[in-house]
Amino acid sequence: MAITGLGPHGERAVPADQVGLSGADADAARKRNFSVAVVLHTTVSDWAKEELAGIVATLGRYGAAVVEVIDCAFDVDRQVAELQRLATEPVDAVISIPIGSARAADAHRAIAAAGKKLLLLDNAPTGMLPGKDYVSVISTDNFGLGQIGAELLAGHVAPGGTVGVLAYGVDFFATHEREIAFRKWMATHRPDLSLVRGKFADVTQAKAATAGLLQGNPDLAGLFAVWDVPAAGAIAAIRDAGKTIPITTVDLGNDVAADLAAGGLIKGIAAQLPYDQGVAVGIATILGLLDRQPPPWIALPGLGVTASNVVEAYQVVWRAPAPAALLRARKPRKTMP
Amino acid sequence: MDERSISNDEQSAAPRRAAGRPRASESAHGSLALLLNLVRSGVATTRQELEIQSEMGRAVVTDRLATLLKLGLIEEGELGLAVGGRAPRHVRFRPRMGIILAAVLDHSSLAVGVSDLTGRLLAEHHEAVELAAGPEPVVQRLATLFAWMLEEHGSEGGIWGIGLAVPGAVEKPDGQRLFAPALTAFQNWDGFPFVEQLATLVGAPVWVRSGVQTMTMGELKSGSGIGLADMIFVKLGRSISAGVISEGTLHRGAQGAAGMIGHTFVEGGSLETIAGSEALTREARQAADSGRSPYLAGVLARTGEVTVTDTGHGAQLGDPFCIDLLGRCGRAVGEVLAPLANLLNPSLIVLGGAVAETGDILLAAVREAVYRQSHPVVTRDLRIVRSQMGGSAGLVGAAQVVAEALFDPRFLQGWITLGSPREHPEFKDFLARAAVDTVTRPAKPRPPGGSLA
Repeated sequence: MAITGLGPHGERAVPADQVGLSGADADAARKRNFSVAVVLHTTVSDWAKEELAGIVATLGRYGAAVVEVIDCAFDVDRQVAELQRLATEPVDAVISIPIGSARAADAHRAIAAAGKKLLLLDNAPTGMLPGKDYVSVISTDNFGLGQIGAELLAGHVAPGGTVGVLAYGVDFFATHEREIAFRKWMATHRPDLSLVRGKFADVTQAKAATAGLLQGNPDLAGLFAVWDVPAAGAIAAIRDAGKTIPITTVDLGNDVAADLAAGGLIKGIAAQLPYDQGVAVGIATILGLLDRQPPPWIALPGLGVTASNVVEAYQVVWRAPAPAALLRARKPRKTMP
Repeated sequence: MDERSISNDEQSAAPRRAAGRPRASESAHGSLALLLNLVRSGVATTRQELEIQSEMGRAVVTDRLATLLKLGLIEEGELGLAVGGRAPRHVRFRPRMGIILAAVLDHSSLAVGVSDLTGRLLAEHHEAVELAAGPEPVVQRLATLFAWMLEEHGSEGGIWGIGLAVPGAVEKPDGQRLFAPALTAFQNWDGFPFVEQLATLVGAPVWVRSGVQTMTMGELKSGSGIGLADMIFVKLGRSISAGVISEGTLHRGAQGAAGMIGHTFVEGGSLETIAGSEALTREARQAADSGRSPYLAGVLARTGEVTVTDTGHGAQLGDPFCIDLLGRCGRAVGEVLAPLANLLNPSLIVLGGAVAETGDILLAAVREAVYRQSHPVVTRDLRIVRSQMGGSAGLVGAAQVVAEALFDPRFLQGWITLGSPREHPEFKDFLARAAVDTVTRPAKPRPPGGSLA
């Protein structure tokens, strides 16, 4: 699938599979035994575990040690404090996923100011510049994820209906891009639909935000949640209201995958490939450490998932056999006459 | 309305007295505008400093500050240092009283951003755009994105102005009309009331500049040019043009068309036909087809096309054709820039655009040509660098154009007592004219070659 979104500064994406290390680069990296720290918003989600696995395996292959992994528990103040500390630690590079766009910017700048390489996942805080403040942003094509979410939902909504967007009310580039793309796709391909918006600042509020949307729009005929955890809250709110409303979302979490396979409210998922993203981050980090200037915006396409391919997609995304619940729901292959 | 990139604040803040005649600042509008600009620029932030700088009496300063506080344009700050007597209370400008929206249109992409009233960008978004569908979907798309950004980053005072950057030169509006004329940058757009529609849809005044001019402003405000007064920004893309900052001021020229260096003749044709991205892409494609460049032939086989970015990758990986092509391109650009360096003596030349992003080989060739053909004094401290702002430079600059225009003393006096630039009588007139224009001018763009009638 093509990459449709542009980077945080309008850059054209360089696909992750086109960014590689030469044999000479690999040898040079192994001789230098780099040390790298990783700062994540959380380390407990499946996405974070796979992302980290891709990073660690790739860095290990090129002789770099991951000396510290920090779980910020979605706390921007904690991230700021940890980055300020890392700026004074003997690490060569820091890989970070910025939590708050504006508030985390200065702490991220401190890493480059201390002479270390900074690699960013998913987004760059507004005002930070590649080459000066960081090496590269490595991200799934979030604009593309929003388009997939819209495309998979459109077929389940009758003409003239009202569709809700369950949006993240925090200044975060990745979720903003998904929402903008969802709205643009709908405006272009389904101008007959009306769009309404519910907002949550914390995933625990997603259920209440959906309930509010349902109350304000009793005719709601479809919903797009900007990632899978709030989508689970939306499912609960819709079931509580005794309704059946199709939902699409982003990320192939276990709960939404099971709902999709079982023919529940989830009708489609735009999946990311976190392990592959981690591999790309590892390669870009080594290139940056060797002063080889990787592209400022490295992107991976999303993967559209429906009930018909959820088992295979699960295997691709999580690199593991699908759980029994998904396999049970898998339709038997049609035999050719 | 000229941009005063660095010195505007200081100039507008300086009191002006015409001997024997009442000062402009003695009117409520004039004194309010003067005091606001003194506070905004940081020249004076206590009552005592304001009295000294403005040459106004204590009672007038106190009265005007009370008005500015009531309008929400300033707020009380912390206590300053006491120098005999009570510590003075600082006042400060409120940059979130309103927001500025910025948009950059290019041939294949658009960008939108939102900034505070100092021009500091709060958020930005870039996406691909199909200009072939004409101006109507583009203006609607901008309005949609602006509405979304307003919901995310709105302020109590709403939108105060829009900065719009377009490819190609933008003529200065004539003396009678404050706001910009119809756009001629895109084929078929001439005659379409784009600016009028945008202003009407969003409900705020629009300032239009050429893309290279806003990129230059952006590079000066937030990029490599911070703190400098003399620099040249060169956009190396499909078209090639330059923005010049001389002694802190953006030079726009008599018609607003300064900097069109792509039309300069070099060996083999105009600079644009030698070093523009279309010319480079064409040569790269030929080399891929003929097999002269093994790297580009591989890219073509894999993706079905070759781009300027591929040429840059090829050069970095040691492909002889790509290295030669970008070296020739850089030398041609450098030969055109050298006379400019001799003429203007800049301390910085920044290269931006897709061609500049191809890497160090082009940059090295530009440097070599400029250094070889310039006077030693001119190049002694001259830096030639690649822009690191990418597409953000144009957005930052477009927001900066508006931030400066809103507080230009002549414009500021027209709205300050009304609390918002949206209430400026000239803007109201503009909207009224726009309503008429939108009805009487063609709703659809004219076909190429003019009216069929």
